Amino acid sequence: MNLKRALMLAALALPLLVALLSGFGRDPHAVPSMLEGKPAPPWVLQDLHGQQVALADGQKLPILLNFWATWCYPCQAEHALLQETAAALQGRARVLGIIYNDSVEAVAAYVAKHGAAYPQLIDPNSRVAIDYGVAGVPESFIIDGDGIIVHKQAGVMRPEILHRYLAPLLADAPPPPLEKGP
Amino acid sequence: MYASCGHAAAILALGLAAAGATLGPSVALWQSRAGLRVLRLLSLGFAGMMLLCNGIMVAALLRHDFSVAYVAQVGSRATPPLISAVSLWSSLEGSILFWGLILGAYLCGFTAVTRRQSGPLVGWAFTVLFAICAFFALLIVGPADPFGLMSPVPADGPGPNALLQNHPLMIIHPPMLYLGYVGMSVPFAVAIAALIRGELPAAWLKLLRLTMLVPWLFLSVGIVLGSWWAYEVLGWGGFWAWDPVENASFLPWLAATGYLHSTAVQERKQIFKAWTLTLVCASFLLTILGTFMTRSGVFNSVHSFTQSPIGPVFLIFLAVVLMGSLFLLGGRAHLLEDEGRIEAVLSKETAFLCNNVVFVVFIFTVLLGTLFPLITEALTETKLSVGEPYFDRMAGPLGLMLVVLMGVGPAMPWGQPNRQALMRQFLAPLAFGAGVSVACMALGLRGPMALATFGLVGFAAYVNAALWLGPGLRTARRRGGLPFAAIAKSMMTNRRRAGGALVHLAILVIVAGITGAQSYRQSAEASLARGESMDLAGYTFTYEGAVGRQEPHRFAAVARMRVSQDAKVLGGMEPRLNFYPSQREPVGTPHVVTLGSTDLYLSLLSVEPDGKRVVIKAYVIPLVSWLWRSLPLLVLGTLVSLWPKKEQLWPKEGM
Repeated sequence: MNLKRALMLAALALPLLVALLSGFGRDPHAVPSMLEGKPAPPWVLQDLHGQQVALADGQKLPILLNFWATWCYPCQAEHALLQETAAALQGRARVLGIIYNDSVEAVAAYVAKHGAAYPQLIDPNSRVAIDYGVAGVPESFIIDGDGIIVHKQAGVMRPEILHRYLAPLLADAPPPPLEKGP
Repeated sequence: MYASCGHAAAILALGLAAAGATLGPSVALWQSRAGLRVLRLLSLGFAGMMLLCNGIMVAALLRHDFSVAYVAQVGSRATPPLISAVSLWSSLEGSILFWGLILGAYLCGFTAVTRRQSGPLVGWAFTVLFAICAFFALLIVGPADPFGLMSPVPADGPGPNALLQNHPLMIIHPPMLYLGYVGMSVPFAVAIAALIRGELPAAWLKLLRLTMLVPWLFLSVGIVLGSWWAYEVLGWGGFWAWDPVENASFLPWLAATGYLHSTAVQERKQIFKAWTLTLVCASFLLTILGTFMTRSGVFNSVHSFTQSPIGPVFLIFLAVVLMGSLFLLGGRAHLLEDEGRIEAVLSKETAFLCNNVVFVVFIFTVLLGTLFPLITEALTETKLSVGEPYFDRMAGPLGLMLVVLMGVGPAMPWGQPNRQALMRQFLAPLAFGAGVSVACMALGLRGPMALATFGLVGFAAYVNAALWLGPGLRTARRRGGLPFAAIAKSMMTNRRRAGGALVHLAILVIVAGITGAQSYRQSAEASLARGESMDLAGYTFTYEGAVGRQEPHRFAAVARMRVSQDAKVLGGMEPRLNFYPSQREPVGTPHVVTLGSTDLYLSLLSVEPDGKRVVIKAYVIPLVSWLWRSLPLLVLGTLVSLWPKKEQLWPKEGM
């Protein structure tokens, strides 16, 4: 047995093993949004009734900005949650929908049937969607009162995401850590 | 009931494998025949238990027993029985269980092949095999336990992954790959035994080659079927994307193929001994690395299972195998001294040497590209991905070198050839290759790289066809009689040469297919209203309308397309989009039609809700079907080459 050479060769394996080990604990699928922590790109758009709505309108209210389309099944699935959220947070946060690659008529018909608790904004030529780097729908952005993007949600919005990112931004939010009442 | 029986069988299997691994060294050291008999019984026991575990799981899947955790994870009452049964390997825990079954089968195969042999080498090989079995049984009992109990028992499950449900190839492709991966354990055990003993007798070398050819065949077929599946299902008109998991199957294939070439030199010339064993170890190690990539959750890939507790356990196994192999190679390789040497620069030996160098460079290129994102993220915290351009740019030239060697190597004589005879030998193939290039050009094909590749493929194909058919044709001419019978006879008398030539021809068919598909693929995308049409490569695709189909587990939008050429209607095609309630984006199913050697390929990208307008991507891809059409040739060639002569399989003398 040539022990010295054996040990030397075996040691060659260490860097590879260390590199593989370092992969644990990371989520390889997670692509951090370049926009998180950055100011939300400003816009001024028209809603379905022809009224102008701007990102900066809300006097420091946090915003839930949702890109969606009627042809998208997951968007339909999350519509009820967004409706509830908009109704529950009236005056404390703004929920805004931006129509993504869809016709105004289709959206008008859809919200007439399924509820229109928050404004739907028309995004000509998808300019705003491009500014926000929207790759598919649904995608939602949670923006704080200073206009900074706190979280980007690719895919269906879930209650726990709202609880985690939107709830702390509300003016009357309990100070972290969350204290449970009696 | 299913859960507890399955669990008990898995624990028994672990016990049997652990007993074998513990008993093995003493059997090898004391060369005990009785001990060897016990090892053989243990191997049958392990295989039996694994068969039982898998049978129980399939039964649970078929009877929708959602109290079993794995069934609750992948089963659903709406899933048809066949898909239910094959969801055995559709998710992490089940795939490890299935791995155990195949391992058991290979263990039995090894027992059968070595049943007339005794001696320390067999004992050591059994030890290594049982250790590997024990590791996988441990995974099944512990971190990847498929027999966990659900409480409360759900009424129904989600069913297997949508992508895995929509093509029959998914039933055959994974088992082929698993048969390839798992089978690499056997040559590894054989090689480690040789390293431990520091000896490599001729019969052991033959056993090594036989045990490697079997998994090599399965791995090759699995890779080709995998690319076919990707092509038929994913809708992007491609068949290979250098995804980490595709690379994970390609890497051991490269190492194993390198080995199959170096062993030919070793058996003939007694050189490259330690090197040959290194390649065998590498094949197994790359298999384990590949399995780690798919199952640890560390790599980003369409194939990867979610982050799971088996990752760390697998890494420990990889570390032990890797460091153990390197330790043995470093410490024992000097005992396997080469007895011959390369006599001339222009010789078959040199061709083989070049071949091995190219294979090793290929392995490192692919390995580097695959691991690079992980390494940079560990060092610099930045996300990075190595894309297809890197791999394509590197693999193209390396592949071409292999094509050249596929022509040069087989035509070269052993030892010290006569230069003039050598030149004469290459004249006809070179002329044929040039002829192929010119003919392609006359047919209107352009592009210097593609034309050169077709020429080189022609050159190598001529050489290998001559090796395969030549001896038989010459005999038929000399003695009269049917050429077919003479060829069949010559194939049987020189199986390795004929088999090797056939496999080379199959690979050349694949290379030609890849070249045609990559160089002459045409595509176009159009938004079509009902009645409108698009033209591509002489074909006209007309949109006739869309239909919606509500299926039990999904909604499908199907676009009806009419295909015509020169105003003659060829038929209809129906690309579709499937909407699953749980998925963010619809999953497309392209429609592929093969006309001669050209594929028409339509993908439906989007459809308006009323079906008035669709967006269609059309591809016309020549030669791509050659990739899968090469399969019969590949299988035939390997079988001819590995089919042992009787005395080879059951040598009289013990070892």
